[in-house]
Amino acid sequence: MDPTRPQDEVPRKLSQKSGDNPPQNFGKNSGKTPARAGGRISADVFRDGGMAPRAEFWLAVRDITPLALGVAIYGLAFGLLAAQATMDALDIGVMGALVFAGSSQIVVVERLVAGAGALSALVAGLALNLRLLLVTASIRDVFAGRPLWQRLLGAHMTTDENWALMLATRARGVKVGYWYLVGGGACLLVTWLASTVCGVIFAAAIPEPKALGMDFAFTAAFIAIARSLWRGRGDLWPWLTSFAVVALAVLGGLLDPSHALVLGGVLGAVVASWNRQEGKQERGQEDGPETGPETGEKAT
Amino acid sequence: MNETVTDIYPVIFALALATFSIRLGGVLLGQRLPQSGRWARGLNALPGCLIISLVSLLVLSGGPREWLAGGIAAAVALLTRSLPLTMAAGIAAIWLLRNFVPI
Repeated sequence: MDPTRPQDEVPRKLSQKSGDNPPQNFGKNSGKTPARAGGRISADVFRDGGMAPRAEFWLAVRDITPLALGVAIYGLAFGLLAAQATMDALDIGVMGALVFAGSSQIVVVERLVAGAGALSALVAGLALNLRLLLVTASIRDVFAGRPLWQRLLGAHMTTDENWALMLATRARGVKVGYWYLVGGGACLLVTWLASTVCGVIFAAAIPEPKALGMDFAFTAAFIAIARSLWRGRGDLWPWLTSFAVVALAVLGGLLDPSHALVLGGVLGAVVASWNRQEGKQERGQEDGPETGPETGEKAT
Repeated sequence: MNETVTDIYPVIFALALATFSIRLGGVLLGQRLPQSGRWARGLNALPGCLIISLVSLLVLSGGPREWLAGGIAAAVALLTRSLPLTMAAGIAAIWLLRNFVPI
């Protein structure tokens, strides 16, 4: 990808346990986050992700706005569906706050409206949530060394959107961590509660997201995020593996989509664990980026 | 359509409890896996692989219009590296394709 800019591979540091990689390559970050693009932050503050917790929290709230808009559209549509299941504003508010996993909520309520039993609705919803195990496991450095209440809060606040946004922001070289994750999650939670409650109350006036093309909002968002997670050629085979597994499952109808999702992620990671180049990158992260572990991969 | 779901609360509580257990299980699992070597390499690659799986699933579940719109969004992502721009381009592309392009 983008062989004209081989230094692209430098700022992707997904795991920041040591946290001593100076930010690099700010210049081409498309102007989305000009406030942070100024330069380096001294190494001693990196333990908490490089910024004061409050600053990180509000930065996340700002960065996640386009994704929150997408969530709001889905919240409205879900409210409409929940109204068909005779849920009221309180029911959907309680559900949203306690579950906070939109796609599984939608699936469960949709199954119930379709007349399925409670158990089969639950199973369908939970199958979709299995990926969250991998999602929270993949950002273990965010939770490492945190007090129990912060781990519990952070776990509950982790969704696809703020998890992926945090990784994309890190991939640009901005040192963010726990409070960025929680800030994004809090913003999404408020958005989700407000929009689902509005959806129940104003059910009659809500258009179908698909008619507006809004169902594609998250597809496009995850495409943008995938692009920023590209770490170099070492990612090629793992990513192809994930794609192939899901493509086979979906186009061949071999697997339930939610299982295909988990399997694709896991098998891609397994391929990466065999990958020597990936190993070089990892060691490079621990040594610091200046050692240039990617030099062997600039052959493009 | 007005199916009466008599008691939604047991379902809500069960879903909430199980979902939170899954999330917390990931946190605990991540903490217990080795910090270096093969496990760490796999875990470091996991986010990208999961996102790719998710994108593949979302795009491939649609038809040719979704595939094309996904390609357009990918091109915008490659060129601009901007999340809002990619989202706007993807939504605009799929809306145009669905409303004005007979495939």
